[in-house]
Amino acid sequence: MKHKRIFTRETILGLIVLAFMAYLSLTTNFASRNGFFSMMLDVSPTIVGAIAMSLVIFTGNIDISAGTILGFVSYTAGELAMSGAPMVLFVPAAIVVGMLIAGLNGWISVTFRVPSIVVTLAMNMVHLGFYATFLRNSGWIENLGDNFTWFGRGMFFNLVPYIFIVSLVVAAIFIFIMRYSKFGKTLYAVGGNRQAAIYAGINPDRTVIKVYLVEGFLLGIAGLLKAMTRSDVLPSSFQGREMTFIAAAVVGGVNIMGGSGKLIGALFGALLVYMLSTAMIYMGFQDYYQFALQGVIILIAVFITVTDFKALKHNLRHAFAAREGK
Amino acid sequence: METKTEARSDDLVLRIEGIYKSFPGVNALTNMTIDLRPAEVHAVCGENGAGKSTLMKIITGIYKPDRGWMKLNGESLDIDSPIDAYSRGIAIIFQETSLFPDLTVLENIFMGHELKKPLPGTARLISILDYPAMRRKAKEIFDRLGMAVDLEARVADLGVATKQMVEIAKALSFDSRILILDEPTAALTNKEVDTLFETIRKLKAHGVSMLYISHRLDEIFQIADRVTVIRDGEHINTEDVAKVTKDELVSWMVGRVLTNLYPKEEFEIGEVVFEARGIVQAGVLKGIDLELRKGEILGISGLAGAGRTELALALCGFTRLDSGRILLDGKERHFANYRQAMDNGIVYISEDRQKYGLVVPMSISENITLPLLAKISRGMGIIDRAAEREINDSYMERLAIKAPDGGFVVNNLSGGNQQKVSVAKALATLPRILVLDEPTRGVDVGAKSEIHRIISNLAKDGKSIIMISSDLPEILGMSDRVIVMKTGSKMGELMRDALSQERILELAL
Repeated sequence: MKHKRIFTRETILGLIVLAFMAYLSLTTNFASRNGFFSMMLDVSPTIVGAIAMSLVIFTGNIDISAGTILGFVSYTAGELAMSGAPMVLFVPAAIVVGMLIAGLNGWISVTFRVPSIVVTLAMNMVHLGFYATFLRNSGWIENLGDNFTWFGRGMFFNLVPYIFIVSLVVAAIFIFIMRYSKFGKTLYAVGGNRQAAIYAGINPDRTVIKVYLVEGFLLGIAGLLKAMTRSDVLPSSFQGREMTFIAAAVVGGVNIMGGSGKLIGALFGALLVYMLSTAMIYMGFQDYYQFALQGVIILIAVFITVTDFKALKHNLRHAFAAREGK
Repeated sequence: METKTEARSDDLVLRIEGIYKSFPGVNALTNMTIDLRPAEVHAVCGENGAGKSTLMKIITGIYKPDRGWMKLNGESLDIDSPIDAYSRGIAIIFQETSLFPDLTVLENIFMGHELKKPLPGTARLISILDYPAMRRKAKEIFDRLGMAVDLEARVADLGVATKQMVEIAKALSFDSRILILDEPTAALTNKEVDTLFETIRKLKAHGVSMLYISHRLDEIFQIADRVTVIRDGEHINTEDVAKVTKDELVSWMVGRVLTNLYPKEEFEIGEVVFEARGIVQAGVLKGIDLELRKGEILGISGLAGAGRTELALALCGFTRLDSGRILLDGKERHFANYRQAMDNGIVYISEDRQKYGLVVPMSISENITLPLLAKISRGMGIIDRAAEREINDSYMERLAIKAPDGGFVVNNLSGGNQQKVSVAKALATLPRILVLDEPTRGVDVGAKSEIHRIISNLAKDGKSIIMISSDLPEILGMSDRVIVMKTGSKMGELMRDALSQERILELAL
């Protein structure tokens, strides 16, 4: 067997995350102010959402409406919980809603040959309009009871939130699926070389619809993980979450053009994006700096994953050579 | 009573009879017939556009034939898709196109037909990919090929030759009995070609039959048992390689009737205006010299992969030279990009109009004036519509572009008229030197002779023209002088009175 490289992109990312935690623990009151605990709470939905988004990006697509789909999911769960439904009822219902809405994105994109970025950008707006028009109080639900929040606030040994465990289990399952299932390989194939995928007997259209359904399933979980930590639900508050998912995926090495990347990377990407914004808060920066920082991180990450460094080097060399020659 | 010939035709692994295939305006294949014996290498050769690729695409189910039939081991064969062909034991080795660059060798080999095993403890309900089994099988295949390839390597990191081995391994993972190799040596070095031939011989020894598509005659004599020549979509001849000479093959490949479509006019040819000396681009161009005179049409001939387009791109500043000099009127020039070449009066008209030549969703006039925007816009970058119309109208008239007006969208024009718009766009920059890459590819006969008339007139006006063409009659009919290229080298230069199809092909093959 060939030797395995130790310093892969994923391990380096993991080390950076650890370094951040160590730095914050040593220089600020991160550790003493329940920093780790709130990290586990906040990062759980991001992990699951980043995995959902990564699957879609693997196929060369994207979902700009992921945030507003979370809104529908949490509204469904909240409304049912309000009317007294137990978790075994509102959880599957919310997940099915996620799958239907995300699946619709895939179906429209494939059937009408519209690029997914356009479909999902449009659906993002449709969703927001839908909240305002058709949902009572724009879907705002308050004073949710224990039947809704017990899981989101629950902890093992008063230390590790249930939802963090859920997000790690989901991550583990999907990392396994990407490696050990035909479905996983198919996603890379469609995003990597569509024509070759067809030649290999893969139906790209069906794959895209499938990946959006799976994405919807995961967004269902992500939406629940986020909603169930709170006693109120406001669907429109989820708008913009998709950008965090995309950032996490891209920072984790998922190629925005499709065809390559690892879910373990997306997992660390989610942690890193969280750590960066937390670090800024602890260092006393304002909110809006975080947006700017997130944007810059996306740019750098895309630059690293997409750029053809060989060609870049070649061009730069020639540019310098030409200047010296003149 | 069974006759002997019938018994023998049952021996054939693959038999293709009377295949017809046409595309709008073109008969790609006419009554094509070919067969394949067990464990033989059957070479198929012909000029560019002879129909080799179409034939292969029919065998592998990418195209459906209009008429005709195929038989596999004596049984009627109907193929819907490449995966269908694979599963019936027919595999095609594409030139890299069917690989996934970001996946590993192992993942590539088994993409779409992964080996699986049940996940322990799930009562066979869930099955997962069986990596150990796939690794074993892949290793077995590479052992059979006599190759050691790292199964976990990313395909993008492999060299061209290794990628090809991965393609072959992928084909063998379906237990293919028939392999189709499409110009397999096009991108290989001599040493890699030897390795490939070694592999082909091993496969043959294992009873695999191969269709070997190539226009490199030397290779055919090295590796093939039989050879079939096709020309203009028709089967010309099939013969044992041992019984045929290179000259015979060449004579089968040419023999196309020269119709006098192109009015070659003789004018005064002037002084040298453009010179290239020792043009080198690593691995692509190997020291090309050429000169071009005022009012001259210089033809550049050669087979696909000879480096003709690459030469044009290098001369026009699209790509960088590793070494070599370009002289304009005797003065050395460097073109860092195409804009600089254009500013020096050199324009390039691409063979791929749709991709590089025109912005097809835009109108004719917008396309023609695209390189001139700076000239026709007034302060603040506002385009002078009147100037735009004037330029457009004059060229539409001069080149007889058939469209209601300049506002017509290029996408809706015929191929010939699109090409004229390409030429108009080039002419509007008032060039002295035009580099035309396959100027009549994909245009119909009438438009073709019109484009030739335009080219001829341009030369008469004192413009110098480099015309790259795969169409031999076009080269013969139009050129004052012809340069023949092969694998990045200039093989020879022929003056008009020494031109013949045979001479050109001898140099090109």
